[in-house]
Amino acid sequence: MKNKHLLSTTIFALVLASLTFGCWFGPRAAYSESERRPLAEEPMLTIESVLSGEFQEAFELFSVDHFPFRDHFRSIKAMFSGYALGKKDNNGLFTVEGHISKLEYPENPEMKEHAANRFRYLYETYLKDTNAKIYLSVVPDKNYFLAEKNGYLSLNYPAFIEDFKTRMEYAEYIDILPLLSLDDFYRTDSHWKQEEITDIAEFIGNAMGTDVKSEYTVNTLDVPFSGVYLGQSALPFAPDTIRYLTNETLSACKVNYFDSGKAEPGEIYNMEKAHGKDPYEMFLSGTSALIEIENPNSKTDKELVVFRDSYGSSLVPLLAAGYQKITVVDIRYLQSSFLGNFISFDNQDVLFMYSTTLLNNSMSLR
Amino acid sequence: MIFSSIPFLFYFLPVVLLVYFAVPKVLKNPVLLVSSLIFYGWGEPKYVFLMIATVLLGYVFGLLIERFSGTWLSKLFLVLSVSSSLLALGFFKYADFFIGNFNSLTGMSIPLLRIVLPIGISFYTFQILSYTVDVYRGDVSAQKNPINLATYVALFPQLIAGPIVRYSDVEAQLTQRTHSFEKISAGSKRFILGLAKKVLIANTLGELGEMFLASSELSVLYYWLFAFSYMLQIYYDFSGYSDMAIGLGRLFGFEFMENFNYPFISKSISEFWRRWHISLGSWFRDYVYIPLGGNRVNKGRFLFNIFVVWFLTGFWHGAEWNFILWGLYFGVLLTLEKFFFAKFLDKHKIFGHIYTLFFVSVSFMIFAAGNLGEAATYVGGMFGIGGIPLVSSEMLYALSNYGWILILAAVGATPVVKMAKISLDKKGKDSVWKELIETLVPVLLLIAVCGFLADGSFNPFLYFRF
Repeated sequence: MKNKHLLSTTIFALVLASLTFGCWFGPRAAYSESERRPLAEEPMLTIESVLSGEFQEAFELFSVDHFPFRDHFRSIKAMFSGYALGKKDNNGLFTVEGHISKLEYPENPEMKEHAANRFRYLYETYLKDTNAKIYLSVVPDKNYFLAEKNGYLSLNYPAFIEDFKTRMEYAEYIDILPLLSLDDFYRTDSHWKQEEITDIAEFIGNAMGTDVKSEYTVNTLDVPFSGVYLGQSALPFAPDTIRYLTNETLSACKVNYFDSGKAEPGEIYNMEKAHGKDPYEMFLSGTSALIEIENPNSKTDKELVVFRDSYGSSLVPLLAAGYQKITVVDIRYLQSSFLGNFISFDNQDVLFMYSTTLLNNSMSLR
Repeated sequence: MIFSSIPFLFYFLPVVLLVYFAVPKVLKNPVLLVSSLIFYGWGEPKYVFLMIATVLLGYVFGLLIERFSGTWLSKLFLVLSVSSSLLALGFFKYADFFIGNFNSLTGMSIPLLRIVLPIGISFYTFQILSYTVDVYRGDVSAQKNPINLATYVALFPQLIAGPIVRYSDVEAQLTQRTHSFEKISAGSKRFILGLAKKVLIANTLGELGEMFLASSELSVLYYWLFAFSYMLQIYYDFSGYSDMAIGLGRLFGFEFMENFNYPFISKSISEFWRRWHISLGSWFRDYVYIPLGGNRVNKGRFLFNIFVVWFLTGFWHGAEWNFILWGLYFGVLLTLEKFFFAKFLDKHKIFGHIYTLFFVSVSFMIFAAGNLGEAATYVGGMFGIGGIPLVSSEMLYALSNYGWILILAAVGATPVVKMAKISLDKKGKDSVWKELIETLVPVLLLIAVCGFLADGSFNPFLYFRF
């Protein structure tokens, strides 16, 4: 009997001591690769910070972020939630049909209003009195194919898109929904695969009156792509593969990035970022406020301005064949009111292409 | 600091255990006291001084009450002790409630004090009250050593969420408690069980509550689902905390009273309150109800006694009218049972279970609300008032997402698991497997808890109003 208590006391002490040792003396990473976010820093211990409670608050965050084997423990939590507690989602992430996805629910009327207001501002300020032809295309997130039929809460996508068509009566709507399928999206990420959307690029090109049809070489990135949902879900899931398309037209394109305020030459595919924290950022270098793509081999003198989110990064290069110049604008990183300093709107084609995810969470649009 | 946090589990507790078991017996209480003050000060640095002052007053009044025992001075010091404790509780917990209501009644606009409630003040005030009253009654001797008294009041295992430990129950343990592997083994298992109840079950059910509160698609069945879930959440949260307190107490050689005894298997509201928050119910019985005359009085006085106790029980839980309504609601049910239904409920046990669960789940909607208006909305929603639909897609999703854990939680709230364990104990008395399971299950639960804590999962603290 005594041995039994000694044994369980020893095991309890060992588990407690090991985890305690890890907490006190374990390695301190500055960044979580799996969650793609910086980790909390160790707070400074001062009398003021303790009396105000700031130290305690910061230390709680620090202790969570630097828990030993944290990613493994997060996996245990994800599996325990699913298998033992029977939860369908873990922190809003769910796994069905071989995909990891994130609940996009409920519909957020305020965010939709905000997005529509920002677009109207662009129209009223820069486009209204020009000859620009304005188009809108809404990209559904992959929950459109996954959520409702698998019993998850879902946006009413037709109504959602119809609402934007009504709010943006100044734009001609390009409906890409019939061309999309679940296979067009990465399994572990929110985005679509470039190699699967050439038909969509052609369709959009045709709708805007230009021919973007091209032959491409499919290249495979030499590093696995762990999409944003993979790290967040903490589930044991095989990573995706990124494939990207090249041809002579794209190779000849001159690309300038204006993130510093002035033109800086770059590439359509940023191979440094392809080997970085988020390989999807290889497409037009990820987060960039303003990019110009000039196609010296263009058969037309047409110009295109695309207002877009990250879905546009992989699609826009596929439109290059049909335009002499494409200007890619992301008003999450560029104040709309500054746009006049960079672009003279005249008779370009103007495409608003946004995902339902961003339109439903649009606070970052400026 | 809360038990279900990484700073407590892996920074505070191991150091305290190490120091506690390293120092000689004479230093064990000072170690517990200092660590308790650090524990309390972690969340409320400035209120440590309030607690120390409250303990010192209790200490001095205890000595004076005993010194002048049998004289009018003893009663005077008791009155002063009770008044000072209640005044502090009244000021820090109820000042804004009184000011707000006074403003509403008179049309005046006296500014609210907006005092942050010292965590656990309701618990430690009641412990000091019971101490001085017991000294006055001669049930216990006044504690001569202020460190021992402060250790009793501030003892971190039971400081912020109970159980409300009586001084009489731990008087001897303060100086003569023993430590053993058996106690440490039992204490650690009990602590981990409570931790798992809180983190794995209560917090997960809390997510359902958050989802309900943020919902734009409320429905009648969604209100019932929330009521059922909230009832189980608060049970697992509160009883989990009590398990942790009892377990931690055992690690340090103390034996605290049980605070919950499967309340949801009750067949009447009277039985429910004998099984729910037992330390609070018995405190009000011994220090309010019986001194008022209990039930050995005429019917009018009995009713008065009942409603005073339940008014105070409700008010103890929070400085809002919905808590008072919550207490009085139970007062009415207990009165009806006492005068009309007791025999009927005793004969019709299945009806008794349904009746109890129905009224308890409704009661927790009043409890969950932030004010009377919200309470009316919640209870109204359960009965379709407001023209809401019977069912909504969000409700169906919540049911599919949390259905299994609700079933687990409901089964776990009955003695089924305990009975199964007893049966297994009898069958496999000397089985190695039984020993292995008993040892490994707590470890596995602790690992699962660590997963939830490391993930930074939803981890609410429900006792901020107590």
